[in-house]
Order: sequence, then C-alpha cells, then structure tokens
Amino acid sequence: MIDADKLEILTESAKYDVSCSSSGSRRTNKAGGLGNASVGGICHSFTPDGRCISLLKILMSNDCIYDCEYCPNRRSADVRRASLTPDEICELVINFYRRNYIEGLFLSSAVFGNPDKTMELMTETVSKLRRVYNFNGYIHMKGIPHADGALVMKAAKLADRMSYNVELPSEKSLKLLAPQKTKESLLLPMKSLNNAIEYDKQNNVRRGKVLPAGQTTQMIIGASPECDGQILKLTEALYRNMHLKRVYYSSYIPVVQSSKLPANGAGLLREHRLYQADWLIRFYGFDVNEICGEDENLSPDYDPKCAWALRNMHLFPVEINTAPLEMLLRVPGIGAKSAYRITEARKFSKLDFDNLAKMRIVLKRARHFITCKGKFCGTDSLAQVKTSLLISGSGEINEQLTMFSEPSTALSALTGEI
Amino acid sequence: MKIFITDGSPEAFFTAVFDAFAEKECIVTSDENVQLAFDSQVIRTVYDEEKCERVRKGIARYDKDAEDDVLFVLRSCDPLKEQIAFEYIKKLMKSKTAVKKMLSLPEVIEFNDILYKVTGEAHRLKGLLRFMESRDNVLYAPYSPDNDITDILMRHFASRLKNERFVIHDVKRKIAGMYNGHEWIMNYVGEAEVYLSEYERAFENLWKKYYLAVNIEERPHEKQMKRSMPVRYWKFLPEKNQKT
Ligand code: SF4
Repeated sequence: MIDADKLEILTESAKYDVSCSSSGSRRTNKAGGLGNASVGGICHSFTPDGRCISLLKILMSNDCIYDCEYCPNRRSADVRRASLTPDEICELVINFYRRNYIEGLFLSSAVFGNPDKTMELMTETVSKLRRVYNFNGYIHMKGIPHADGALVMKAAKLADRMSYNVELPSEKSLKLLAPQKTKESLLLPMKSLNNAIEYDKQNNVRRGKVLPAGQTTQMIIGASPECDGQILKLTEALYRNMHLKRVYYSSYIPVVQSSKLPANGAGLLREHRLYQADWLIRFYGFDVNEICGEDENLSPDYDPKCAWALRNMHLFPVEINTAPLEMLLRVPGIGAKSAYRITEARKFSKLDFDNLAKMRIVLKRARHFITCKGKFCGTDSLAQVKTSLLISGSGEINEQLTMFSEPSTALSALTGEI
Repeated sequence: MKIFITDGSPEAFFTAVFDAFAEKECIVTSDENVQLAFDSQVIRTVYDEEKCERVRKGIARYDKDAEDDVLFVLRSCDPLKEQIAFEYIKKLMKSKTAVKKMLSLPEVIEFNDILYKVTGEAHRLKGLLRFMESRDNVLYAPYSPDNDITDILMRHFASRLKNERFVIHDVKRKIAGMYNGHEWIMNYVGEAEVYLSEYERAFENLWKKYYLAVNIEERPHEKQMKRSMPVRYWKFLPEKNQKT
C-alpha cells in the first residue's frame, strides 16, 4: 500500500492546479468493469478553502529536471522528493473509487528523467487502470511538453480529458520564467490532439473516442505583466482554434522567492473578474472586444457585464416579454437560469414585475434595464444606477470587501458565473 | 372540509387524488398530525387499483414525465408534499396540456421547488455517500438524507459498482437498499452490524491525509465549504471526523 508521506508530498505539489472538474464525459461501465463517468460531474467533498474535490489529483513524481521559476518543485528547489509506481497509483484510485471518495484520477507529473520517460510511465499507469483493473471512471491527464507525439496519442485514447498548460499569457514571459518549455512544445501537441478530436467528431466515431471530455488549459495570472485584455484575447483564440473546454486562471501565489517574479500575489478579485469575462465569452455570446480593450484591465468595481451595460445604456431598457434571449442575457442581474425561466414562462402569459418576483428573479439590479408590459421601475439617473450596481450585487460586494481587506484569505468562485 | 389521509404510498396518493378531485377545497396528506379544523371530515384513503390507474393514465395523457416528477415529489420530507402534488395534478388536468414549463404559475413554482430539493439532494449524495468495506467484501454506506432517496441512489450505484456487493442504509427511516452484484432490493433494516475489513482503516486514513494535503490553507473559505457540503451530512464523512 502507498506510503502516507509520499501521498502527502505528491498531493501538496499538485494542489495548485485548479482544473478539478469531472464533467463532460459519459463513459458507461463495460461488463466486468468498475465505474462510469457522469456527464454532469460530481463533487465528492469540499475542502475548507471552499474548493470541490472530484478527482484524486496527484503527481506521479515531483522530482523535476526543469527549472520553472515559479514552481516549488523546480530542480534547484530544496524540497522533499517522492515518486509513485503505476501499481501504487492504481491501487489507490481503485480503493478510493470503490468507497465513493472520488470520481476518478487527475494524473500530473514533474518531468523526471526525460519527457518521454515521464509520459510513458503516466500512460502505463492509465493503461493499467483501464485494462488490468478495468476502471471506467474519469481520468484527466496532464500532457508533458516535448514528449513524443505517438506517446501522447496513446494516452489520449485512454483518458477522458487532457491538458497542456500554456502556463503564461505570452511567449516572452514563458521564455523568461519557464525556459525549458517552448510555445511549440505546448501548442503543437494541443493542436494535434484537437485534430484527432475533430476527426472523431466528423467521422462519427462512437467507440474508443479520443478524449471524450476534450482539452483544457491553465495559465498563471499576475506572475508576468500581461494585462487582462491580452489574456482574454489569448483565451478567445484558444476556445476558437483549439476548441478547448475550459481555460483556467490561477492567480499567482508567491511560494518561491525570485528576482524575476513579483513579490506579491495577484489578487483573487482579478482572477474572479477574468472568470466572469470568460463566462460571458463562452455562454453569453460576448466578443472580447466588447468586454475589454487589448491593453486594458477589467474594472475592479463592476463585474464585466455591468461594466458593459453602463457603457451601452442606449440599448436599454429592454422589454421582458419580447426581448430575444441574447439580449436578456445581457441585462445586469439576469443570469442564464433567470433568462431561461423568463423565455419559457412568457410563452404562456405576459409577465409583469409581480410575476418576476414570484419566479424569484432578482430585480435589484435588473429593474434599471428592463420594462414589463411597457412599465419601467428603475431610475433614469445614471449616477443612481451606478451605485445600485456597486452595492446590490447579491453578496458579491461583501465578498469583494473581504478580498480587499484580506487579499490572501478570500476565494473567488472558480466559475465566474454571473 | 374533507381531509384525505393516505398511508404515504404513491398508490394511496393517486387513489386520494381521484376521490378528492371533485372537491372544491380539501386537503390531501399522509401527515397523521395534520391540524384539524372544526368542520373537518377525515377520510382514510385505501389503495384502489382502478382509481389509481385512472389517475395515472390521465396524467400521462397530458405529460408523460409528470408521473415521474410526482413520484420524486412524494419522496420529499416536506409535510405539504401531497397537497402540492395534488394541486399540480389538478392544474395539469384542467389545462389539458403539460404545465411543467409554465414557470409563473404558483402551483408550478411550488411543485418545482420541492422537485429540485429532492433531485438536488440525490445529486449531492451521489458524491457525499461513503462506503466502507466489510470483512466479507461488501460495501456498506450508512447515511441520513432529508428526503427518501435511497432507491434513486441504488440505481446510480448499481450501474457504477456493477460487480460489487453493496448496501445503502438510511438510518433515519430504517430502510436499506441491497445489491448482490446482479440486482437490488429495498428492505427494512433497523440496525446493522458491520465488521470492517483489515484494510478499511488504512484507506480511510489515506483519504483523510489527502483531504488535509489538498486544501490550500492560505485561502480559507469555510462559508463556501459549508454551503456546498452542509454540516448535517458531516457525520458520515470520514474526512470531517479527523480524530483517528
Ligand atoms: S516542469 Fe516546471 S512547472 Fe512542471 S514540475 Fe517541473 S519545474 Fe515545476
């Protein structure tokens, strides 16, 4: 059985990776097998930092030959080192899964020996899980830069999701802070995985699909000087060109002393605003240009949708009973669920403010931007609208204040749902 | 006013719906302690196959999902569940079309609220249920849900842990679902005696260790944790009972 200290070292090394979701894959249990994957994703526990535990997230090894400036496991760091064998990992996954502790495995690793050897051992682990232990639960694998393309493809046939982390928002910063990783070593494998996924899609491949839950990536925010506009442009390109399922942002935490790195961590508020903007791009049909100029940062005072609405007051108010869904989604205070409820309910009868209140649609912010049967209940004074957007954001402001007073002790919602 | 009291089973409920349908104002409940008014007339509904079937067929004619939705609502711990399901069915029959999406109707709002609470708890417990391994290799999960959802969980785990034998035990309602590797049944179970396997404590401790190690201490957010994982569920979570 795995040694408890090793588990501790390899968990602590992996925990700053933020992509924990287990959703997006529907893997059915094969005869004689253990487990399946649930499309909606399942959280199995929550840690005191408010994050969900869905997958067993560990490194295969933290014994790294690379020297990324920001990483506690880099070669030149003086930390406890540990590695696991494929069998140790398999045994742990199976036993945790049977007890319903986890939804599956998130396997990452430092580069030990060389990239090929690392990728090979990771793939061997996953292959054993699937073939020897008959495990049909969820598996997310980290891609190792510079590893052989054929090995990566082999891994992609076994895992539900893979991620190559772009790490930093520009090539310049990557060169400075992660000198052994190159833009190509991250983007090229991402591209060939995308090609393989697209091939399966176009040819209607049903069984043995490559990465049924797609690819994600992650970048560190605030370790380098790029502004939000640049970060969001890159995000948009990754969604459009690589068809990523998610881009994760990880606000920089100074765990390492270095002259190349800022002394302070990036605020969680910034991370939160980026997730909100990301949400608008993915679900609400916004273009980055509408949200944030290329060399601008997002407003700390308003969430990006409110900020957009304030710049576009001439488009409001909109009539709740006739506005198209795309426009409802742009009303501050109306989220996807509320917009859905409105579009369904108004098919049967015209809605007034009373109906909206009964349907538990929060009107505090929205009332300045809508009419119901032609009636307007907001205020015409822009100054008043602004203050109401500032202070009425369903608890968001309280959260922001805690963020400002103790920047290191608050947590932003990972999703950015507005 | 007439008060129809059922034994809590769906069959008796559908029978009561049949009897109560023509009443102008009435109460349908399985709550024995229901408040009686001066003019109340208590009627104990007993299952009647024909009446029950007619109601079920009637519902299905306008909305084929409605019966399943009603069955979910009847698992709720809300004392008004039968009344709310009854009002919903009445609305459905009078509208002669599915009302599920008429989201501004009060009957639909109340019904959906309960429905989401039940399905929401079932979803949450698909994650929070914890099995322990017994000496004879049966997985055992005691828990105490708000709503009567054990058979929903049985369906989920029977497909996930297809080749295992397991028991899910609702210790509050004293019922348990049992799966033998092929099929599952529900049964009354008061107390269960379980002898743990040799490795059980070791894996439990590894899990506790993992839970502590994966937390980012510099960013505490207890409020968020408790919102997502309410304290009433902690009793059965090894990681929230850190004393070893
Ligand atoms: S490759 Fe870089 S980021 Fe990854 S473990 Fe090694 S030093 Fe850390």
